[in-house]
Amino acid sequence: MDITAFVSLTIYKFRKILFNKRVLAALLVGVLVTGVMAYASTLDVVFRDGAILLDVLIISFFLPVVTMFYGSSVIRDEIEDMSITMVITSPMRRWAAYLSYYTALLLSLLLLLFMILTAGFLAFFIPLGLDSNALELYLNMLLLVSIGCVVYSALFLLASVVLERSIYFGLFYAFIWEGFIGSIPGRISEFALKHYIRSIGAGRMELMEFAAASGMTYSFQVLTVVTVVLLAVGIFIFRYKEFPG
Amino acid sequence: MKSSVIKAQLLSKWYGEVIGLNSFNMDAGPGITGIVGPNGAGKSTLFKLIIGMIKPSKGSLDVLGMDPWLNKKLSSKIGFCPDYDNLPDDATGFEFLRLSGGLHGMSGTGLNSRIKEVSRTVGIDYALERKIGGYSKGMRQRIKIAGALLHDPELLLLDEPLSGADPRARRSLIDVIISLNRDSGHDILVSSHVLFEVERMTKDVVLIYKGRAVASGDIYGIRELMDEHPHNIIIEGKGMVELGKRLLELEHTVSVSFDGSKERLRVEVKRPDEFFDNVPEMLLESGGELREMYSQDDNLAAVFRYLVGR
Repeated sequence: MDITAFVSLTIYKFRKILFNKRVLAALLVGVLVTGVMAYASTLDVVFRDGAILLDVLIISFFLPVVTMFYGSSVIRDEIEDMSITMVITSPMRRWAAYLSYYTALLLSLLLLLFMILTAGFLAFFIPLGLDSNALELYLNMLLLVSIGCVVYSALFLLASVVLERSIYFGLFYAFIWEGFIGSIPGRISEFALKHYIRSIGAGRMELMEFAAASGMTYSFQVLTVVTVVLLAVGIFIFRYKEFPG
Repeated sequence: MKSSVIKAQLLSKWYGEVIGLNSFNMDAGPGITGIVGPNGAGKSTLFKLIIGMIKPSKGSLDVLGMDPWLNKKLSSKIGFCPDYDNLPDDATGFEFLRLSGGLHGMSGTGLNSRIKEVSRTVGIDYALERKIGGYSKGMRQRIKIAGALLHDPELLLLDEPLSGADPRARRSLIDVIISLNRDSGHDILVSSHVLFEVERMTKDVVLIYKGRAVASGDIYGIRELMDEHPHNIIIEGKGMVELGKRLLELEHTVSVSFDGSKERLRVEVKRPDEFFDNVPEMLLESGGELREMYSQDDNLAAVFRYLVGR
């Protein structure tokens, strides 16, 4: 029963996230990234500049911001308009429902961010010439975006269950914490998730400059543990949560 | 001897310092049971406790022999139609029912045929392909009831199912609810703040006021109390002046006054059911046009004040 319910809820939520006015924000981000990358390709640039631009624009900035924008509202909106009633009062177990929300969020974010990344990548590298190095960079960036989506989705989904004003936490986290703390030189930046995402990138690509990078395996382990802990805490809180309306 | 479908003993629920339910007792058997109380009396809190959306602060609650809090086995035996509008406006009625069924583990052609069957039962089959955003209030109530019925639950919880619906839709929904018990055998707990509407569905009622069950049992005794307290009804539309004159001629009309404009009548009546039966004919005779008609719960509050001795 949980599998049928899981699939039904995931598909429904996936559609709801994508076919929503909010998707315009992701389209705007896509247009912005494509414009910047296209303009950059007309300047006096080399191949490495493309990697740096994708790192700065997508990995360091839009990845946490876009996941925050969608993730911090995915369950909170349903709690506020009480449409969550249908899920809570169904026989679907709550942990399965939580994972279903997570899966729907993750899939939609992967789709949106892959589209943004691909558009930006093509806008820069088509004028410079697509070769095997470019393809390798593209695949590595897809990997980093995927890892980022996995961990940030878990974080912002938890925030959307715990906090009534989860968007404020999301804004603080995406802009102040990841943007500021994550950019401070030295060990302080290790408190930001993007440090580990970029460390994996630096480990896989010489093109990605990151002097303070941690080890790739260690970074992967940290992000895995953080994701699992965030999901476990989210499931626990969601399972025992009351919905008074 | 009747078996208990829902049994609450000294059931309390607090939201911080706000009391939702206070040492509430009830013992509902099979059939239709009405929960009647003014807005804010604790009806919705009771429903949320029964469906397991919230946890009791104190006391015990037994639904179909089980504790409802975090009980997913019980969830499959209950269908819940909340008083609030939790429908996705951007989905069609069919998509909404597909999701409802899916959450109960239903899929494929079995689900599709069940959707057809249930939507026919509640009278919404003609609008399944339309977006819910374009539904009238009555249609929204019907699709919510269809969603609650889809998995063929033993117990149906209908929280204010008539709220906001026009008089014709109310009458039709009452017929649907009665037939769900009579023809399909569902036990039903239905709430309303309008006693005479519940009276049309069942004689077993629990009166709830300020979180407490102030009276329960046969409705007729409560009705007698009710008739001593005039019932306030608001009528909006065209031709209200002429209608008001005719209403004053009725024996059970206590007073008629305009409420803010000449298109809005406030009528005090002693026997609301007779009043509602008379209004359509009088409107036709007077050439009036009805926009909205609803009763207020002031009279019910008066009965409750009487019952709690204030």
